[in-house]
Amino acid sequence: MLVEMKHITKRYGEVIANDDVSLALEENEILAIVGENGAGKTTIMKILYGLEHPDAGEIFIRGQKVLITSPRAAMAHHIGMVQQHFMLFDTLSAAENIVYQNEIRKGIFFDHKKTNQTVLELSQSYGLPIDPQAIVQQLPIGSQQRVEILKILYQQSQIIIFDEPSAVLTPLEVEELLKTMKQLKAMGKSLILITHKLQEVMDVADRVIVMRQGKVTFESKVTDTNVKELTYHMVKRHLNTRTLKPQNPGEVQLELKHISVYGNSAKKELDDISLCVRSFEIVGIAGVSGNGQSLLARVVSGLLDSDAGELFIKGQNLTHQSVHSIRQAGLSHVPDDRYLWGSAREATLGENALMGFEYRPDFTQKGILKSQKIKHLTNSLIDRYQIKADEWQQKMSQLSGGNAQKLVVGREFEQNSEVLLVNEPTRGIDIGAMEFIHQQLVEKRDNGCAILLISSDLNEIMTLSDRIIVLFEGRINATFVRGEADARQLGLYMVKRYEEIET
Amino acid sequence: MNLSYLTTVANSTLRMMTPVLYVTLAAAVCSKVKILNISMEGVMLISAFFAIVTNWFTHNVFLSIITAIAIGVVVSAVVGFCIIYLKAQPVVVGMACNTMMSGLSIYLLYAIFHTRGVFTDPSLQGIPKINLPFIKDIPVLGQVLYNLTIVDYLAFASAIVLYIFLYKTVLGYRLRAIGINPQAAQSLGTKVERYQFLTVTLSGILSGLGGSLLSMGSVTLFIQNISSGRGYIAMAANNLGRSHPLGALLSSFFFGFCQSLGYILQGTSIKSQITTAIPYVATILALILFTVYGRIQKARRISRLRKEEPRETPASL
Repeated sequence: MLVEMKHITKRYGEVIANDDVSLALEENEILAIVGENGAGKTTIMKILYGLEHPDAGEIFIRGQKVLITSPRAAMAHHIGMVQQHFMLFDTLSAAENIVYQNEIRKGIFFDHKKTNQTVLELSQSYGLPIDPQAIVQQLPIGSQQRVEILKILYQQSQIIIFDEPSAVLTPLEVEELLKTMKQLKAMGKSLILITHKLQEVMDVADRVIVMRQGKVTFESKVTDTNVKELTYHMVKRHLNTRTLKPQNPGEVQLELKHISVYGNSAKKELDDISLCVRSFEIVGIAGVSGNGQSLLARVVSGLLDSDAGELFIKGQNLTHQSVHSIRQAGLSHVPDDRYLWGSAREATLGENALMGFEYRPDFTQKGILKSQKIKHLTNSLIDRYQIKADEWQQKMSQLSGGNAQKLVVGREFEQNSEVLLVNEPTRGIDIGAMEFIHQQLVEKRDNGCAILLISSDLNEIMTLSDRIIVLFEGRINATFVRGEADARQLGLYMVKRYEEIET
Repeated sequence: MNLSYLTTVANSTLRMMTPVLYVTLAAAVCSKVKILNISMEGVMLISAFFAIVTNWFTHNVFLSIITAIAIGVVVSAVVGFCIIYLKAQPVVVGMACNTMMSGLSIYLLYAIFHTRGVFTDPSLQGIPKINLPFIKDIPVLGQVLYNLTIVDYLAFASAIVLYIFLYKTVLGYRLRAIGINPQAAQSLGTKVERYQFLTVTLSGILSGLGGSLLSMGSVTLFIQNISSGRGYIAMAANNLGRSHPLGALLSSFFFGFCQSLGYILQGTSIKSQITTAIPYVATILALILFTVYGRIQKARRISRLRKEEPRETPASL
């Protein structure tokens, strides 16, 4: 047995993240750990990598008890981790990133020439092509991940932990990654894969562990189980697949004409975007994050002024108008970052529920807020959107991510706006809350809303959208009607210009 | 305007720029490790004061400079400790340091020398001026470098050494990496806080040297508020120099020039209130121009992009 973690318990305040978790990793196998968000799978791996310290429990490596107090100690035991959020130095080169902490020296000086050569050899020997001198922030996400993997290989790790490695990748990049993982195994490494994408588990893993609410609830060889069984153990109920009722789209509610945004780089960040959203339809914007989606959302919501082009809502020209007048015109906006844009963490639920309507006569009289009305509003949101909260005056920061998101969604949906801009509505929340929000979105659509849905989750786009627009490098790269394209095809348009694909 | 006039301006620019250069370099290394350090003003001031105190009691220039450095290191260490380990707001800590050092120097000036405002004495030793035998005789260059001290030369050397240190050595590379992404460095097992603390502490050497130049360089005396905003100008200079040691060299040259211009114009009919304001007005103007320049560049790029042929959208919507 290569690694054994026995009876690990970890508490954060009153929350138990890991409750008496035991697991083992064999020599030369790929172990998958699956579970919903908050199931404790990242915590247990952070403990193994020395980023967190367990309250109880022991770790053994090849039968020897070890204390892993820091990432350095983990590295000394040849454990490496590819974290979900890459730990890279953006403005340094790939090679400089890879050798960090184990630099190749010439006296006190950094030996750039030898470093680049060593990294090139390393990348060739593992079949992970990379340009050692490329500046990391200019590399695509897939290559950045390769830099992360090479960094761990350079540290001579034998045990490699992948934390949700495919979350940020396009379907093609995921295929590459899975191939890499199999290859690493063939070269004698042992891998742990944390994920909630079950198909990946079936594709690469040898063994799978399901975690739920901090406990290991199921363990099996991959050959002895299937996606359906794993799903059941993850959420303890069977999920139904969603189908959209066909609707006839109505009038154009939201229209963008030739919108462009010039950034600080040589390229346009949004390049001549023209699109429209009609009532009774959801238009999905797909793309690898960072290809202009968030700029598009900021332009539509009025947070950013476009450098060229026009914006219409319900026929009214709202180019260069304030956020307030755009909201007045009938746009509601669920922003991608619920804490940065969507809410105020330190404010109460009531205050958060009121945000954006505080000027309305229902809630204010001569500049004084009507607290009873706000209480009523908040409680009705808590009720209707099944938000787990103690009372309307508690702080927003006390809600879990999923519940906070439901409050933001509820606030925006209850305005009865006819145009909805919904950006990454289910990022980082559990499957239950995700299902609920999807259902609300579909209801809104069936009631005649025009919805612009931006998401980097391809599944979400494909289940909910009537039409799909793929953004790549700030341009509209392809448009599809529901059912016209599969994930693979969409994925291709997410990473390559249509001119290159179609010729 | 003749040649000798120009060489005088150049010479005075060099002497004016070195104290600013020291504190700008201090600001630059701190921002390289992602610490906002605004305490250079206070550190410089108190170092300048203690250089004179040591000078008065020992009449030893070397010891005086060492004292200035030591005081700079100690005060910077306290500032660094508050910011990095106690997680205090850097701006609050920096301002507290600056106000406290200003008050402390005035109080000690009275307590030790029983005087207010200015202290000077013929027995005080200035930093010896170096006039290199060969260079002294070269026509223009000799006059430009006339009467510079070893500490002035050291300032220029520091900029170059810091450049090599930050961009060529392993340790410098690690410091830059920490500044780019402290979390990443932490996750790779680097003791980020220790590196940051040492950097802020050792930046005190630079501020201390800058302080010693103020009170023992061109003149040998201590005046209340002798740093007169150079620590703040250094923040602007650091900004203009993009936290790069060689950028700091250029930007402090600019501020040195403005200062010497101010002094030279004092001899003309222009009102002294205006001439003394020149370096500060220049600071504001430089920062404005820096931003405006960035905007002009962006506007240019946009108009260039607009000229490109409009592109067809793949499928009509």
